[in-house]
Amino acid sequence: MLTLKQSRRLQTVLIATLAWLVALAIFFPIFWMILTSFKTEIDAFATPPQLFFTPTLENYVHIDERSDYFHFAWNSVVISFGSTLAGMLLAVPAAYSMAFFETKRTKSTLLWMLSTKMLPPVGVLVPIYLLFKDAGLLDTKTGLVIIYTLINLPIMVWMVYTYFKEIPKDILEAARLDGATPAQEIYRVLLPIGKGGLASTVLLSLILCWNEAFWSLNLTASSAAPLTAMVASYSSPEGLFWAKLSAVSTLACAPILIFGWLSQKQLVRGLSFGAVK
Amino acid sequence: MNNPSASLPSVAAARPAARRLSDRFADWLPKIVLAPTVVITLVAVYGYMIWTALLSLTNSRILPVWKFTGTGQYAKLFENERWGVAVENLIIFGVLFILVCLVIGVLLAILLDQKIRAEGALRTIYLYPMAISFIVTGTAWKWLLNPGLGLEKTLHDWGFESFSFDWLVNPDMVVYCLVIAAVWQSSGFVMAMFLAGLRGIDPDMVKAAQLDGASMPKIYRRIVLPSLKPVFFSAFVILSHIAIKSFDLVMALTGGGPGYASDLPATFMYQHAFTRGQMGLGAASAIVMLGGVLAILVPYLYSELRGKKHG
Repeated sequence: MLTLKQSRRLQTVLIATLAWLVALAIFFPIFWMILTSFKTEIDAFATPPQLFFTPTLENYVHIDERSDYFHFAWNSVVISFGSTLAGMLLAVPAAYSMAFFETKRTKSTLLWMLSTKMLPPVGVLVPIYLLFKDAGLLDTKTGLVIIYTLINLPIMVWMVYTYFKEIPKDILEAARLDGATPAQEIYRVLLPIGKGGLASTVLLSLILCWNEAFWSLNLTASSAAPLTAMVASYSSPEGLFWAKLSAVSTLACAPILIFGWLSQKQLVRGLSFGAVK
Repeated sequence: MNNPSASLPSVAAARPAARRLSDRFADWLPKIVLAPTVVITLVAVYGYMIWTALLSLTNSRILPVWKFTGTGQYAKLFENERWGVAVENLIIFGVLFILVCLVIGVLLAILLDQKIRAEGALRTIYLYPMAISFIVTGTAWKWLLNPGLGLEKTLHDWGFESFSFDWLVNPDMVVYCLVIAAVWQSSGFVMAMFLAGLRGIDPDMVKAAQLDGASMPKIYRRIVLPSLKPVFFSAFVILSHIAIKSFDLVMALTGGGPGYASDLPATFMYQHAFTRGQMGLGAASAIVMLGGVLAILVPYLYSELRGKKHG
Protein backbone atom coordinates (compact mmCIF):
# COMPACT_ATOMS: atom_id res chain seq x y z
CA MET A 1 0.00 0.00 0.00
CA LEU A 2 1.11 3.50 -0.75
CA THR A 3 1.10 6.05 1.97
CA LEU A 4 -0.98 9.16 1.45
CA LYS A 5 2.11 11.20 0.71
CA GLN A 6 3.38 8.70 -1.82
CA SER A 7 0.09 8.50 -3.63
CA ARG A 8 -0.11 12.27 -3.81
CA ARG A 9 3.38 12.42 -5.27
CA LEU A 10 2.44 9.72 -7.75
CA GLN A 11 -0.57 11.78 -8.73
CA THR A 12 1.58 14.86 -9.30
CA VAL A 13 3.94 12.89 -11.51
CA LEU A 14 1.08 11.39 -13.48
CA ILE A 15 -0.52 14.76 -14.08
CA ALA A 16 2.77 16.32 -15.14
CA THR A 17 3.42 13.40 -17.50
CA LEU A 18 -0.01 13.74 -19.01
CA ALA A 19 0.44 17.49 -19.46
CA TRP A 20 3.76 16.99 -21.24
CA LEU A 21 2.34 14.23 -23.43
CA VAL A 22 -0.40 16.61 -24.51
CA ALA A 23 2.20 19.29 -25.17
CA LEU A 24 4.14 16.80 -27.27
CA ALA A 25 1.05 15.88 -29.26
CA ILE A 26 0.22 19.53 -29.85
CA PHE A 27 3.72 20.41 -30.86
CA PHE A 28 4.19 17.35 -33.05
CA PRO A 29 2.89 18.79 -36.36
CA ILE A 30 5.15 21.82 -35.96
CA PHE A 31 8.09 19.67 -34.94
CA TRP A 32 7.58 17.34 -37.87
CA MET A 33 7.33 20.23 -40.28
CA ILE A 34 10.62 21.68 -39.06
CA LEU A 35 12.24 18.25 -39.21
CA THR A 36 11.01 17.61 -42.75
CA SER A 37 12.38 20.94 -43.87
CA PHE A 38 15.90 19.65 -43.24
CA LYS A 39 15.40 16.44 -45.21
CA THR A 40 15.99 15.75 -48.86
CA GLU A 41 12.82 15.19 -50.88
CA ILE A 42 13.63 11.49 -50.91
CA ASP A 43 14.09 11.31 -47.14
CA ALA A 44 10.82 13.15 -46.69
CA PHE A 45 9.04 10.27 -48.40
CA ALA A 46 11.07 7.53 -46.70
CA THR A 47 9.34 4.48 -45.24
CA PRO A 48 9.05 4.39 -42.32
CA PRO A 49 9.31 8.15 -41.65
CA GLN A 50 12.75 8.85 -40.30
CA LEU A 51 13.50 10.61 -37.09
CA PHE A 52 17.23 10.37 -37.69
CA PHE A 53 18.72 11.39 -41.00
CA THR A 54 21.50 13.50 -42.47
CA PRO A 55 20.21 17.06 -42.30
CA THR A 56 20.52 19.18 -45.39
CA LEU A 57 20.00 22.83 -46.16
CA GLU A 58 19.22 22.25 -49.82
CA ASN A 59 15.55 23.15 -49.42
CA TYR A 60 16.40 26.49 -47.95
CA VAL A 61 18.96 27.18 -50.66
CA HIS A 62 16.39 26.26 -53.26
CA ILE A 63 13.80 28.60 -51.77
CA ASP A 64 16.26 31.43 -51.64
CA GLU A 65 17.09 30.90 -55.31
CA ARG A 66 13.51 30.62 -56.42
CA SER A 67 11.80 33.32 -54.49
CA ASP A 68 13.89 35.68 -52.43
CA TYR A 69 12.70 34.99 -48.90
CA PHE A 70 13.86 38.32 -47.58
CA HIS A 71 11.67 40.22 -50.02
CA PHE A 72 8.56 38.53 -48.63
CA ALA A 73 9.80 38.66 -45.04
CA TRP A 74 10.46 42.38 -45.36
CA ASN A 75 6.95 42.90 -46.72
CA SER A 76 5.55 40.98 -43.76
CA VAL A 77 7.57 43.06 -41.32
CA VAL A 78 6.62 46.41 -42.87
CA ILE A 79 2.95 45.52 -43.16
CA SER A 80 2.67 44.06 -39.65
CA PHE A 81 4.44 46.92 -37.92
CA GLY A 82 2.82 49.59 -40.07
CA SER A 83 -0.66 48.32 -39.42
CA THR A 84 0.00 47.76 -35.71
CA LEU A 85 1.27 51.31 -35.35
CA ALA A 86 -1.70 52.76 -37.20
CA GLY A 87 -4.06 50.58 -35.22
CA MET A 88 -2.63 51.63 -31.88
CA LEU A 89 -2.77 55.30 -32.82
CA LEU A 90 -6.48 54.93 -33.43
CA ALA A 91 -7.29 52.38 -30.75
CA VAL A 92 -5.60 53.97 -27.74
CA PRO A 93 -7.47 57.30 -27.91
CA ALA A 94 -10.73 55.49 -28.67
CA ALA A 95 -10.29 53.12 -25.75
CA TYR A 96 -9.24 56.01 -23.52
CA SER A 97 -12.41 57.81 -24.35
CA MET A 98 -14.57 54.75 -23.75
CA ALA A 99 -12.92 53.65 -20.55
CA PHE A 100 -12.72 57.01 -18.78
CA PHE A 101 -15.57 59.03 -20.22
CA GLU A 102 -18.25 56.45 -20.20
CA THR A 103 -21.66 57.51 -21.40
CA LYS A 104 -24.89 55.61 -21.77
CA ARG A 105 -23.96 54.63 -25.28
CA THR A 106 -20.36 53.51 -24.66
CA LYS A 107 -21.25 49.89 -24.07
CA SER A 108 -23.39 49.70 -27.21
CA THR A 109 -20.71 51.38 -29.30
CA LEU A 110 -18.15 48.85 -28.14
CA LEU A 111 -20.51 45.96 -28.74
CA TRP A 112 -21.36 47.23 -32.16
CA MET A 113 -17.69 47.52 -33.08
CA LEU A 114 -17.04 43.99 -31.88
CA SER A 115 -20.08 42.65 -33.67
CA THR A 116 -18.63 43.86 -36.97
CA LYS A 117 -15.82 41.37 -36.43
CA MET A 118 -18.43 38.63 -36.65
CA LEU A 119 -19.16 39.45 -40.26
CA PRO A 120 -17.33 37.33 -42.80
CA PRO A 121 -14.68 39.33 -44.67
CA VAL A 122 -15.74 37.85 -48.01
CA GLY A 123 -18.82 40.02 -47.71
CA VAL A 124 -16.76 43.10 -48.46
CA LEU A 125 -14.08 41.56 -50.64
CA VAL A 126 -15.54 42.53 -54.01
CA PRO A 127 -16.02 46.25 -53.30
CA ILE A 128 -12.64 46.54 -51.63
CA TYR A 129 -10.98 44.78 -54.53
CA LEU A 130 -12.62 47.14 -57.00
CA LEU A 131 -11.83 50.18 -54.91
CA PHE A 132 -8.21 49.13 -54.53
CA LYS A 133 -7.95 48.60 -58.26
CA ASP A 134 -9.22 52.08 -59.00
CA ALA A 135 -7.07 53.67 -56.31
CA GLY A 136 -3.96 51.83 -57.46
CA LEU A 137 -3.63 50.12 -54.09
CA LEU A 138 -3.63 46.55 -55.38
CA ASP A 139 -0.38 44.80 -54.60
CA THR A 140 0.95 47.66 -52.48
CA LYS A 141 2.08 47.51 -48.87
CA THR A 142 0.05 50.62 -48.12
CA GLY A 143 -3.08 48.84 -49.26
CA LEU A 144 -2.52 45.91 -46.94
CA VAL A 145 -1.64 48.19 -44.03
CA ILE A 146 -4.97 49.96 -44.50
CA ILE A 147 -6.94 46.72 -44.70
CA TYR A 148 -5.23 45.08 -41.72
CA THR A 149 -5.73 48.18 -39.63
CA LEU A 150 -9.41 48.16 -40.49
CA ILE A 151 -9.99 44.53 -39.66
CA ASN A 152 -8.02 44.48 -36.42
CA LEU A 153 -9.18 47.79 -35.04
CA PRO A 154 -12.26 46.51 -33.16
CA ILE A 155 -10.26 43.84 -31.34
CA MET A 156 -7.52 46.29 -30.47
CA VAL A 157 -9.97 48.86 -29.13
CA TRP A 158 -11.64 46.20 -27.08
CA MET A 159 -8.39 44.89 -25.60
CA VAL A 160 -6.99 48.30 -24.76
CA TYR A 161 -10.36 49.19 -23.28
CA THR A 162 -10.31 46.22 -20.91
CA TYR A 163 -6.78 47.15 -19.79
CA PHE A 164 -7.70 50.78 -19.26
CA LYS A 165 -10.74 49.69 -17.27
CA GLU A 166 -8.43 48.12 -14.72
CA ILE A 167 -6.66 51.39 -14.03
CA PRO A 168 -8.23 53.18 -11.08
CA LYS A 169 -9.89 56.43 -12.09
CA ASP A 170 -8.53 58.21 -9.02
CA ILE A 171 -5.06 58.27 -10.55
CA LEU A 172 -6.34 60.14 -13.57
CA GLU A 173 -8.35 62.53 -11.48
CA ALA A 174 -5.32 63.30 -9.37
CA ALA A 175 -3.35 64.06 -12.52
CA ARG A 176 -6.16 66.24 -13.79
CA LEU A 177 -6.30 68.22 -10.58
CA ASP A 178 -2.57 68.78 -10.93
CA GLY A 179 -3.34 70.44 -14.24
CA ALA A 180 -2.45 67.67 -16.69
CA THR A 181 -3.86 68.05 -20.19
CA PRO A 182 -5.59 65.01 -21.74
CA ALA A 183 -2.57 64.34 -23.94
CA GLN A 184 -0.33 64.41 -20.88
CA GLU A 185 -2.75 62.11 -19.12
CA ILE A 186 -2.37 59.55 -21.88
CA TYR A 187 1.37 59.80 -22.35
CA ARG A 188 2.49 60.38 -18.78
CA VAL A 189 0.00 58.34 -16.79
CA LEU A 190 -1.94 55.81 -18.81
CA LEU A 191 0.71 54.47 -21.14
CA PRO A 192 3.28 53.80 -18.40
CA ILE A 193 0.71 52.03 -16.21
CA GLY A 194 -0.89 50.09 -19.03
CA LYS A 195 2.45 49.11 -20.58
CA GLY A 196 2.03 45.35 -20.10
CA GLY A 197 -1.45 45.28 -21.52
CA LEU A 198 -0.53 47.49 -24.44
CA ALA A 199 2.48 45.31 -25.20
CA SER A 200 0.27 42.25 -25.48
CA THR A 201 -2.15 44.14 -27.67
CA VAL A 202 0.74 45.10 -29.93
CA LEU A 203 1.96 41.51 -30.02
CA LEU A 204 -1.50 40.19 -30.82
CA SER A 205 -1.88 42.68 -33.63
CA LEU A 206 1.55 41.79 -35.00
CA ILE A 207 0.69 38.10 -34.98
CA LEU A 208 -2.71 38.61 -36.57
CA CYS A 209 -1.18 40.72 -39.34
CA TRP A 210 1.73 38.36 -39.82
CA ASN A 211 -0.60 35.39 -40.24
CA GLU A 212 -3.34 37.04 -42.22
CA ALA A 213 -3.86 35.19 -45.46
CA PHE A 214 -7.27 36.05 -46.80
CA TRP A 215 -6.58 39.62 -47.83
CA SER A 216 -2.93 39.12 -48.66
CA LEU A 217 -3.81 36.34 -51.11
CA ASN A 218 -6.55 38.34 -52.73
CA LEU A 219 -5.01 41.78 -52.87
CA THR A 220 -1.37 41.14 -53.67
CA ALA A 221 0.48 39.54 -56.55
CA SER A 222 4.19 39.72 -55.94
CA SER A 223 5.68 43.08 -55.13
CA ALA A 224 3.81 43.52 -51.83
CA ALA A 225 3.13 39.86 -51.08
CA PRO A 226 3.92 38.83 -47.49
CA LEU A 227 5.14 35.44 -46.30
CA THR A 228 1.70 33.86 -46.15
CA ALA A 229 1.32 34.47 -49.87
CA MET A 230 4.73 32.97 -50.45
CA VAL A 231 3.74 29.79 -48.59
CA ALA A 232 0.53 29.60 -50.58
CA SER A 233 2.46 29.91 -53.83
CA TYR A 234 4.42 26.79 -52.89
CA SER A 235 1.46 24.63 -51.99
CA SER A 236 0.18 23.95 -55.46
CA PRO A 237 -1.63 20.64 -55.57
CA GLU A 238 0.36 19.10 -58.42
CA GLY A 239 3.89 19.75 -57.17
CA LEU A 240 4.15 17.79 -53.94
CA PHE A 241 7.54 18.88 -52.77
CA TRP A 242 7.01 18.26 -49.10
CA ALA A 243 10.47 19.11 -47.92
CA LYS A 244 10.42 22.45 -49.71
CA LEU A 245 6.91 23.20 -48.60
CA SER A 246 7.93 22.45 -45.03
CA ALA A 247 10.95 24.68 -45.34
CA VAL A 248 8.83 27.55 -46.62
CA SER A 249 6.31 27.08 -43.84
CA THR A 250 9.04 26.90 -41.25
CA LEU A 251 10.53 30.13 -42.52
CA ALA A 252 7.13 31.79 -42.37
CA CYS A 253 6.38 30.91 -38.77
CA ALA A 254 9.88 30.78 -37.29
CA PRO A 255 9.96 34.48 -36.31
CA ILE A 256 6.72 34.11 -34.38
CA LEU A 257 7.76 30.89 -32.66
CA ILE A 258 11.06 32.42 -31.58
CA PHE A 259 9.79 35.82 -30.47
CA GLY A 260 6.80 34.17 -28.88
CA TRP A 261 9.03 31.97 -26.78
CA LEU A 262 11.12 34.96 -25.70
CA SER A 263 8.08 36.95 -24.65
CA GLN A 264 5.89 34.14 -23.35
CA LYS A 265 4.00 36.29 -20.92
CA GLN A 266 2.91 38.79 -23.57
CA LEU A 267 2.21 36.02 -26.05
CA VAL A 268 -0.15 34.17 -23.74
CA ARG A 269 -1.79 37.38 -22.65
CA GLY A 270 -2.20 38.67 -26.18
CA LEU A 271 -3.33 35.44 -27.79
CA SER A 272 -5.94 34.89 -25.11
CA PHE A 273 -7.22 38.37 -26.02
CA GLY A 274 -6.27 39.64 -22.60
CA ALA A 275 -8.00 36.89 -20.62
CA VAL A 276 -4.78 35.61 -19.02
CA LYS A 277 -3.22 38.32 -16.92
CA MET B 1 -19.74 52.70 -12.39
CA ASN B 2 -18.15 55.92 -11.33
CA ASN B 3 -19.25 58.47 -13.85
CA PRO B 4 -16.56 61.13 -14.28
CA SER B 5 -18.92 63.63 -15.86
CA ALA B 6 -20.61 63.83 -12.48
CA SER B 7 -17.42 64.81 -10.68
CA LEU B 8 -15.92 67.04 -13.37
CA PRO B 9 -18.43 69.92 -13.27
CA SER B 10 -18.05 70.23 -9.50
CA VAL B 11 -14.36 70.81 -10.01
CA ALA B 12 -15.04 73.25 -12.82
CA ALA B 13 -17.59 75.17 -10.78
CA ALA B 14 -14.97 76.05 -8.23
CA ARG B 15 -12.88 77.74 -10.90
CA PRO B 16 -13.16 81.09 -12.66
CA ALA B 17 -15.52 81.35 -15.62
CA ALA B 18 -12.64 81.70 -18.06
CA ARG B 19 -11.87 78.02 -17.64
CA ARG B 20 -15.32 77.03 -18.80
CA LEU B 21 -14.49 76.95 -22.50
CA SER B 22 -11.57 74.61 -22.10
CA ASP B 23 -13.69 72.45 -19.84
CA ARG B 24 -16.30 72.24 -22.49
CA PHE B 25 -13.58 71.23 -24.91
CA ALA B 26 -12.48 68.57 -22.43
CA ASP B 27 -16.04 67.28 -22.38
CA TRP B 28 -16.03 66.98 -26.14
CA LEU B 29 -12.56 65.54 -26.42
CA PRO B 30 -13.56 61.94 -25.73
CA LYS B 31 -16.06 62.08 -28.54
CA ILE B 32 -13.53 63.67 -30.88
CA VAL B 33 -10.90 61.01 -30.29
CA LEU B 34 -13.46 58.25 -30.59
CA ALA B 35 -14.84 59.58 -33.84
CA PRO B 36 -12.17 58.31 -36.28
CA THR B 37 -12.58 54.74 -35.10
CA VAL B 38 -16.35 54.88 -35.26
CA VAL B 39 -16.37 56.49 -38.69
CA ILE B 40 -13.84 54.02 -40.06
CA THR B 41 -15.84 51.07 -38.77
CA LEU B 42 -19.03 52.57 -40.09
CA VAL B 43 -17.69 53.14 -43.59
CA ALA B 44 -15.66 49.95 -43.72
CA VAL B 45 -18.55 47.77 -42.69
CA TYR B 46 -21.76 49.34 -43.86
CA GLY B 47 -20.44 51.15 -46.90
CA TYR B 48 -19.00 48.02 -48.40
CA MET B 49 -21.91 45.89 -47.30
CA ILE B 50 -24.31 48.13 -49.20
CA TRP B 51 -21.99 48.08 -52.18
CA THR B 52 -21.98 44.28 -52.16
CA ALA B 53 -25.75 44.21 -51.76
CA LEU B 54 -26.14 46.46 -54.81
CA LEU B 55 -23.77 44.28 -56.82
CA SER B 56 -25.78 41.20 -55.93
CA LEU B 57 -28.77 42.76 -57.71
CA THR B 58 -26.88 43.09 -60.97
CA ASN B 59 -25.77 40.71 -63.64
CA SER B 60 -22.07 41.46 -63.12
CA ARG B 61 -19.66 38.86 -64.33
CA ILE B 62 -15.92 39.61 -64.41
CA LEU B 63 -16.40 43.36 -64.00
CA PRO B 64 -19.19 45.14 -62.17
CA VAL B 65 -22.07 46.17 -64.38
CA TRP B 66 -24.41 48.68 -62.84
CA LYS B 67 -27.58 47.49 -64.48
CA PHE B 68 -30.05 46.17 -61.98
CA THR B 69 -31.73 42.93 -62.84
CA GLY B 70 -33.58 42.19 -59.63
CA THR B 71 -33.15 39.18 -57.41
CA GLY B 72 -32.31 36.69 -60.13
CA GLN B 73 -28.89 36.00 -58.64
CA TYR B 74 -30.48 34.87 -55.36
CA ALA B 75 -32.78 32.46 -57.16
CA LYS B 76 -29.76 31.07 -59.00
CA LEU B 77 -27.84 30.80 -55.76
CA PHE B 78 -30.44 28.69 -53.99
CA GLU B 79 -30.76 26.38 -56.95
CA ASN B 80 -27.00 25.90 -56.94
CA GLU B 81 -26.11 22.51 -55.53
CA ARG B 82 -22.61 23.63 -54.69
CA TRP B 83 -23.96 26.38 -52.48
CA GLY B 84 -26.01 23.81 -50.57
CA VAL B 85 -22.88 21.76 -49.94
CA ALA B 86 -21.02 24.86 -48.75
CA VAL B 87 -23.73 25.85 -46.28
CA GLU B 88 -24.07 22.32 -44.96
CA ASN B 89 -20.30 22.14 -44.52
CA LEU B 90 -20.24 25.39 -42.59
CA ILE B 91 -22.92 24.09 -40.21
CA ILE B 92 -21.12 20.78 -39.61
CA PHE B 93 -17.76 22.48 -39.34
CA GLY B 94 -18.96 25.31 -37.12
CA VAL B 95 -20.87 23.16 -34.64
CA LEU B 96 -18.22 20.46 -34.31
CA PHE B 97 -15.35 22.90 -34.22
CA ILE B 98 -16.88 25.00 -31.46
CA LEU B 99 -18.03 22.03 -29.37
CA VAL B 100 -14.79 20.05 -29.58
CA CYS B 101 -12.68 23.16 -28.93
CA LEU B 102 -14.70 23.98 -25.83
CA VAL B 103 -14.48 20.44 -24.45
CA ILE B 104 -10.75 20.06 -25.09
CA GLY B 105 -10.08 23.60 -23.90
CA VAL B 106 -11.85 23.02 -20.58
CA LEU B 107 -10.09 19.69 -20.02
CA LEU B 108 -6.67 21.20 -20.79
CA ALA B 109 -7.36 24.13 -18.50
CA ILE B 110 -8.33 21.82 -15.63
CA LEU B 111 -5.20 19.78 -16.32
CA LEU B 112 -2.96 22.84 -16.21
CA ASP B 113 -4.70 24.13 -13.11
CA GLN B 114 -3.26 21.23 -11.06
CA LYS B 115 -0.18 23.23 -10.04
CA ILE B 116 2.23 21.69 -12.52
CA ARG B 117 5.85 22.73 -12.61
CA ALA B 118 6.86 24.67 -15.75
CA GLU B 119 3.28 25.68 -16.30
CA GLY B 120 4.42 28.75 -18.23
CA ALA B 121 6.26 26.69 -20.82
CA LEU B 122 3.34 24.27 -21.20
CA ARG B 123 0.93 27.13 -21.60
CA THR B 124 3.05 28.61 -24.36
CA ILE B 125 3.29 25.30 -26.19
CA TYR B 126 -0.47 24.77 -25.95
CA LEU B 127 -0.96 28.22 -27.43
CA TYR B 128 1.65 27.93 -30.16
CA PRO B 129 -0.73 26.65 -32.84
CA MET B 130 -2.81 29.79 -32.36
CA ALA B 131 0.23 31.90 -33.21
CA ILE B 132 0.68 30.17 -36.54
CA SER B 133 -0.96 31.15 -39.78
CA PHE B 134 -3.82 28.98 -41.00
CA ILE B 135 -1.85 28.63 -44.20
CA VAL B 136 0.96 26.90 -42.33
CA THR B 137 -1.48 24.82 -40.30
CA GLY B 138 -3.06 23.67 -43.53
CA THR B 139 0.31 22.65 -44.90
CA ALA B 140 1.37 20.71 -41.82
CA TRP B 141 -1.92 18.85 -41.58
CA LYS B 142 -2.10 18.17 -45.29
CA TRP B 143 0.97 16.05 -44.76
CA LEU B 144 -0.29 14.26 -41.65
CA LEU B 145 -3.71 13.51 -43.10
CA ASN B 146 -2.53 12.55 -46.57
CA PRO B 147 -3.20 8.81 -47.02
CA GLY B 148 -0.03 8.28 -49.05
CA LEU B 149 2.24 10.11 -46.62
CA GLY B 150 1.20 10.76 -43.08
CA LEU B 151 -0.65 8.77 -40.45
CA GLU B 152 -2.01 6.07 -42.73
CA LYS B 153 1.31 5.33 -44.38
CA THR B 154 3.16 5.33 -41.07
CA LEU B 155 0.76 2.82 -39.58
CA HIS B 156 0.93 0.65 -42.69
CA ASP B 157 4.70 0.66 -42.47
CA TRP B 158 4.46 -0.45 -38.88
CA GLY B 159 2.39 -3.43 -39.93
CA PHE B 160 -1.18 -2.24 -39.42
CA GLU B 161 -2.14 -3.01 -43.01
CA SER B 162 -5.87 -2.72 -42.48
CA PHE B 163 -5.67 0.76 -40.99
CA SER B 164 -7.38 3.20 -43.27
CA PHE B 165 -7.56 6.94 -42.93
CA ASP B 166 -8.47 8.57 -46.19
CA TRP B 167 -10.66 11.39 -44.94
CA LEU B 168 -8.70 14.02 -46.82
CA VAL B 169 -9.62 12.51 -50.19
CA ASN B 170 -13.02 11.19 -49.20
CA PRO B 171 -15.77 13.66 -50.17
CA ASP B 172 -17.98 12.54 -47.29
CA MET B 173 -15.33 12.92 -44.63
CA VAL B 174 -13.15 15.77 -45.82
CA VAL B 175 -15.00 18.37 -43.77
CA TYR B 176 -13.91 16.54 -40.61
CA CYS B 177 -10.30 17.08 -41.65
CA LEU B 178 -11.00 20.79 -41.52
CA VAL B 179 -12.41 20.30 -38.03
CA ILE B 180 -9.32 18.40 -36.85
CA ALA B 181 -6.89 21.03 -38.08
CA ALA B 182 -8.97 23.92 -36.80
CA VAL B 183 -9.41 22.31 -33.38
CA TRP B 184 -5.68 21.75 -33.17
CA GLN B 185 -5.15 25.41 -33.87
CA SER B 186 -7.69 26.90 -31.51
CA SER B 187 -8.13 24.62 -28.50
CA GLY B 188 -5.03 26.00 -26.80
CA PHE B 189 -6.57 29.42 -26.98
CA VAL B 190 -9.77 28.17 -25.34
CA MET B 191 -7.60 26.55 -22.70
CA ALA B 192 -5.97 29.89 -21.94
CA MET B 193 -9.31 31.62 -21.51
CA PHE B 194 -10.63 28.93 -19.18
CA LEU B 195 -7.40 28.80 -17.22
CA ALA B 196 -7.79 32.50 -16.55
CA GLY B 197 -11.36 31.84 -15.47
CA LEU B 198 -10.35 29.01 -13.15
CA ARG B 199 -7.77 31.25 -11.49
CA GLY B 200 -10.50 33.74 -10.76
CA ILE B 201 -12.56 31.27 -8.74
CA ASP B 202 -12.56 31.68 -4.99
CA PRO B 203 -10.54 28.75 -3.61
CA ASP B 204 -12.49 28.90 -0.33
CA MET B 205 -15.63 27.88 -2.17
CA VAL B 206 -13.93 24.76 -3.47
CA LYS B 207 -12.45 24.01 -0.06
CA ALA B 208 -15.83 24.32 1.61
CA ALA B 209 -17.34 21.86 -0.85
CA GLN B 210 -14.44 19.49 -0.25
CA LEU B 211 -15.05 19.64 3.50
CA ASP B 212 -18.68 18.75 2.84
CA GLY B 213 -17.37 15.58 1.23
CA ALA B 214 -18.06 16.40 -2.41
CA SER B 215 -15.88 14.53 -4.89
CA MET B 216 -13.63 16.43 -7.29
CA PRO B 217 -15.66 15.67 -10.47
CA LYS B 218 -18.78 16.78 -8.66
CA ILE B 219 -17.15 20.01 -7.50
CA TYR B 220 -16.13 20.79 -11.06
CA ARG B 221 -19.55 20.01 -12.43
CA ARG B 222 -21.59 21.77 -9.79
CA ILE B 223 -19.45 24.71 -8.72
CA VAL B 224 -16.51 25.41 -10.98
CA LEU B 225 -17.98 25.06 -14.45
CA PRO B 226 -21.20 26.99 -13.76
CA SER B 227 -19.19 29.93 -12.48
CA LEU B 228 -17.25 29.94 -15.76
CA LYS B 229 -20.32 30.82 -17.79
CA PRO B 230 -19.01 34.21 -18.95
CA VAL B 231 -15.85 32.50 -20.20
CA PHE B 232 -17.94 30.02 -22.18
CA PHE B 233 -19.67 32.98 -23.71
CA SER B 234 -16.50 34.85 -24.77
CA ALA B 235 -14.93 31.65 -26.06
CA PHE B 236 -18.07 30.92 -28.05
CA VAL B 237 -18.07 34.35 -29.60
CA ILE B 238 -14.44 34.20 -30.66
CA LEU B 239 -14.68 30.61 -31.90
CA SER B 240 -17.71 31.34 -34.04
CA HIS B 241 -15.85 34.30 -35.46
CA ILE B 242 -12.96 31.98 -36.38
CA ALA B 243 -15.37 29.43 -37.88
CA ILE B 244 -17.10 32.00 -40.05
CA LYS B 245 -13.93 33.44 -41.45
CA SER B 246 -12.25 30.09 -42.10
CA PHE B 247 -11.13 30.69 -45.60
CA ASP B 248 -7.38 30.35 -45.55
CA LEU B 249 -7.49 26.99 -43.78
CA VAL B 250 -9.71 25.48 -46.47
CA MET B 251 -7.58 26.95 -49.21
CA ALA B 252 -4.38 25.54 -47.72
CA LEU B 253 -5.69 22.17 -46.54
CA THR B 254 -8.11 21.01 -49.22
CA GLY B 255 -8.54 23.85 -51.70
CA GLY B 256 -12.25 23.13 -51.38
CA GLY B 257 -11.80 19.65 -52.78
CA PRO B 258 -12.05 16.87 -53.62
CA GLY B 259 -14.30 18.42 -56.22
CA TYR B 260 -16.18 20.93 -54.14
CA ALA B 261 -16.84 18.62 -51.19
CA SER B 262 -15.14 20.83 -48.62
CA ASP B 263 -16.35 24.18 -49.89
CA LEU B 264 -17.42 26.70 -47.28
CA PRO B 265 -19.54 29.74 -48.16
CA ALA B 266 -16.39 31.87 -48.03
CA THR B 267 -14.57 29.75 -50.60
CA PHE B 268 -17.73 29.48 -52.69
CA MET B 269 -17.99 33.22 -52.82
CA TYR B 270 -14.34 33.62 -53.66
CA GLN B 271 -14.46 31.05 -56.44
CA HIS B 272 -17.47 32.60 -58.10
CA ALA B 273 -16.55 36.24 -57.74
CA PHE B 274 -12.94 35.93 -58.73
CA THR B 275 -12.02 32.78 -60.60
CA ARG B 276 -15.27 31.92 -62.35
CA GLY B 277 -16.31 35.41 -63.38
CA GLN B 278 -19.69 35.36 -61.61
CA MET B 279 -19.40 38.50 -59.54
CA GLY B 280 -23.15 38.96 -59.16
CA LEU B 281 -23.64 35.45 -57.85
CA GLY B 282 -20.66 35.78 -55.54
CA ALA B 283 -22.02 39.03 -54.14
CA ALA B 284 -25.41 37.39 -53.59
CA SER B 285 -23.78 34.56 -51.64
CA ALA B 286 -21.86 37.09 -49.54
CA ILE B 287 -25.08 38.89 -48.68
CA VAL B 288 -26.81 35.64 -47.72
CA MET B 289 -23.85 34.84 -45.49
CA LEU B 290 -23.96 38.25 -43.87
CA GLY B 291 -27.67 37.88 -43.36
CA GLY B 292 -27.23 34.48 -41.74
CA VAL B 293 -24.61 35.76 -39.35
CA LEU B 294 -26.66 38.81 -38.47
CA ALA B 295 -29.76 36.72 -37.87
CA ILE B 296 -28.10 34.15 -35.63
CA LEU B 297 -25.14 35.71 -33.88
CA VAL B 298 -25.84 39.34 -33.31
CA PRO B 299 -29.09 38.93 -31.36
CA TYR B 300 -27.34 36.40 -29.17
CA LEU B 301 -24.43 38.76 -28.60
CA TYR B 302 -26.65 41.61 -27.60
CA SER B 303 -28.95 39.63 -25.35
CA GLU B 304 -26.00 38.10 -23.50
CA LEU B 305 -24.08 41.30 -23.03
CA ARG B 306 -26.98 43.63 -22.41
CA GLY B 307 -28.11 41.45 -19.54
CA LYS B 308 -24.73 41.58 -17.90
CA LYS B 309 -24.23 44.29 -15.33
CA HIS B 310 -20.53 44.79 -15.22
CA GLY B 311 -18.08 47.43 -16.32
